[in-house]
Amino acid sequence: MEDYKFLFKVVLVGNAGVGKTCLVRRFTQGLFPPGQGATIGVDFMIKTVEVDGEKVKLQIWDTAGQERFRSITQSYYRSAHALILVYDISCQPTFDCLPDWLREIEEYANNKVLRILVGNKTDREDREIPRHIGEDFAQRHGMYFLETSAKEAENVERLFMEIAVELMEQAKCKELPKYDGSLGPINGKTTSVGDTSCCLRS
Amino acid sequence: MSLTLLLEKYDVSTEEGLQKALLEIEKEEVEVDEALAGVLSRACTLEGRLRTASQAYTKLGEVKTDAQVAADMVDRTAELARDVSAKVRQLDLARSRVAECQRRVHDLIDLQLCSAGVEAAIKAHDYETGAAHVARYLSMEPGSLQAARARGAPDPRHTMERAAATLGEHLVRKFEEAAKKEDEAAVERLFRLFPQIGRADDGVDLLAKYLLTQVEGAVRRACVVAGGAGAGAAGAGAGAEAAVFADALTRVLEAGAAAAERARRVPPPAAGRLPRALRLLQPAVCAGARRVFAAQRAARLDNAANATGAGALAAEPVLAELALSLSRVRLYFDFLRRKTEADASTLDEAGKQASAEAIEKIIAECELTRIAQDMLAHYLQLERYFLEESVSKALKMATPQAGSTTSSLVDDVFFIARKVIRRGVSTGSVDGACAVLNEAGALLERLPAAALRRWLRASVCSVCECAACSVSVCRRGVSPGSVDAACAVLNEAGALLERLPAAALRRWLRAPPDALPLPPPAAAPALAPAPRLTKELDAQRALFLAHLNEAEAGGEWAERLASEAVAEAGALCRGERDAAKLASCAAGLGAAAAAFRAAHDLGLAGLRAALRPRLLAWADALADPGDLAEDIEEDTDADALPAALDVLAESARAQLSPQTADAVLLGALSDLAARAERRLLHHTYSREAGLVVERRARRLAGWAGGAAPAARERCARLAQAAALLALERLQHAHHALQPAARLAPADARILARR
Repeated sequence: MEDYKFLFKVVLVGNAGVGKTCLVRRFTQGLFPPGQGATIGVDFMIKTVEVDGEKVKLQIWDTAGQERFRSITQSYYRSAHALILVYDISCQPTFDCLPDWLREIEEYANNKVLRILVGNKTDREDREIPRHIGEDFAQRHGMYFLETSAKEAENVERLFMEIAVELMEQAKCKELPKYDGSLGPINGKTTSVGDTSCCLRS
Repeated sequence: MSLTLLLEKYDVSTEEGLQKALLEIEKEEVEVDEALAGVLSRACTLEGRLRTASQAYTKLGEVKTDAQVAADMVDRTAELARDVSAKVRQLDLARSRVAECQRRVHDLIDLQLCSAGVEAAIKAHDYETGAAHVARYLSMEPGSLQAARARGAPDPRHTMERAAATLGEHLVRKFEEAAKKEDEAAVERLFRLFPQIGRADDGVDLLAKYLLTQVEGAVRRACVVAGGAGAGAAGAGAGAEAAVFADALTRVLEAGAAAAERARRVPPPAAGRLPRALRLLQPAVCAGARRVFAAQRAARLDNAANATGAGALAAEPVLAELALSLSRVRLYFDFLRRKTEADASTLDEAGKQASAEAIEKIIAECELTRIAQDMLAHYLQLERYFLEESVSKALKMATPQAGSTTSSLVDDVFFIARKVIRRGVSTGSVDGACAVLNEAGALLERLPAAALRRWLRASVCSVCECAACSVSVCRRGVSPGSVDAACAVLNEAGALLERLPAAALRRWLRAPPDALPLPPPAAAPALAPAPRLTKELDAQRALFLAHLNEAEAGGEWAERLASEAVAEAGALCRGERDAAKLASCAAGLGAAAAAFRAAHDLGLAGLRAALRPRLLAWADALADPGDLAEDIEEDTDADALPAALDVLAESARAQLSPQTADAVLLGALSDLAARAERRLLHHTYSREAGLVVERRARRLAGWAGGAAPAARERCARLAQAAALLALERLQHAHHALQPAARLAPADARILARR
């Protein structure tokens, strides 16, 4: 068995072509694959990172942005610990679709899921969405915000590491016992099973 | 001898001395004379030898001259040999040139013959011969032809090429005629000629076009049938069971596959050209599939989506049909891949690779793939609806009601989940299967969780429901074979337990009174007969036990369904990535099983807590030294507890699974023995009282040995403790502790003092 203490599921969503797959591959493989084809269904990558000396396994689900895969991608929302909603800063329509994506998240995801808004492709000269617009949107909807460039490897590592740190903090808070000792069996067992936002491996 | 020596040896001053010296001298003289004579005699031999040597020397000079001559001759011979071999090489070269010249001459002659032959063959409609001539021409060395032109002769290729082109045109025309007449034999015969005239691609294109017309026809027929049946089904009502659209799609794909199979039968020189044919054929198949799917959408899916009133029952045939269609599409693509691989099997590695890439590109880019994706989307939407409906129905039917003895929740939900997952796997799409697994986990957890919370508030047994719920939910999570689903479900189950207020949870932990009957000890009037059970309590008791059993059964099912799903979906994996998705689901199984066991343990703890007061009473009775039961038969007194335990065991075995019953008995006996031992330490005993207690403990140990083997050890310890009490003398203590001391020495000492 691999040696890790936490396993978190991170799901990337957003319109087709905003660079979800590139972000994932930049983070997991350190590559920027030019001419990346459209993702079919859902792809799955794993990277183990270290936070405060503890190994955290990030299971990253890269979803297809196209409409016809929506039924498939929706089924992954529920089990996600973090949802990364990606738009393309050089493409207004991808930003305009964000409310639709949020509606979908509301409908299918766990309400306590960590949500991060990411404006990708900061390397592009033809920016259409200024940074503060994205920030405002994220603030309004209670999301974290970050601008990245998968091509220049800018903020990509930071994005996933901050997610790992945040999720680990959440997990540790929930790890604390909530009942007094009289309910030993329940308490002992349920924490080992996990809670709404993490799978603990003891 | 020298003179000096002589003078020293002999005294020459005397006569006698002189005489002796003289004699000596004379003797020496004789010796010297003899020696000289010997030397002289050897002188002639030496002379002879010297003569011989001088003669030999002269001969050696002659030999040397001869040898020199011989060496010169060898040198000359070698030189000659070298000359000869150089000449031979030249001859070889000359001969090969001659051979080449001859071949070229033959080629040129053949070329003339071929040109003429092709024309003649065309006239005679003997295309095989014509094609053979062209094949001969194509196999000629280009050098021959160039050489011929270099000498100023008119380029002989022109004629041949003209002839070949004419032949090609004839073949194409004939092929088209044969195709129009649907003359299979002629089509096949002509098709085989194209690779010979070096136009295999044209042949493949022509064949593909010919097959295309056939496929189009077949597809049209298939679609018409679908349309008719669809209309018929619509007329007959939405509940038409037959999977006509899947059948129509199957026929369309079969037509495509048959054409692909025919196109594959290209003669060996044209191997690896199947993708080229498929590129032409695939659009027809796609168009057919599009028409069928459009008809299906109009007739079934839009209706099914709107007909919420019809419920899950109406959705089921549509789902089955969609799953069947999807699996057919997958089979069709697999067929194409397999055929392409077989087609390219004679090629080198690069050719195989190129062929495989070409077919993957065709599959990825063809419309059928997109149709299948759309179909999968529809399927998943409908499957979600089906799940929601079915699970709410199962929940409604499983609502705990006083009077009902079992709840069918676990059975029903297990059945639905298995059906849905199997159908999901049968679509043949890993993504589809994974999505169904996720849906099964995510959707089902929401409904049962809410319903169960409601039940929990309404019933004392609710904690059992909670257990059953988490079990069923976990099972669901496990069964999909998807890590997300499993984990999400487990999380939800965990959260559900956590959310319950602690006080309420503690209350619910109590099992209903008399969950399992254990008659109170006759000697403990304070605890005598429990309040008469009302009918409602009776029902609650039954429900509690039913849920406990369900919790256990659900866990077993969870594991079984999980392994089933993993095994079934494992066959779909076509790469490491797919396998990783499955592997991540397998990792969730352990956690799911733990959650289930937690639920089951919760129920067991409740049961044990319910039994505890009676057990304590029995333990007190067992250890009571005051009650010597004078008026009761000794045996009756000692057998009372085993008899009561018999009632408990019988009831537990009848209503619980063997494992759970054993666990309950073990727990009960442990509680009993622990309490009894503590009580033994409280009281002091007379010898008679000790004997009575010892008999009771021995009976209990005997009963445990027969009925609850797991608790035998624990009871044997109690029996030893009691035996110590019954001792007449302390010295016999070690006999009481035979065959093996189960009590700690310190405890034994304390007991013996009493």
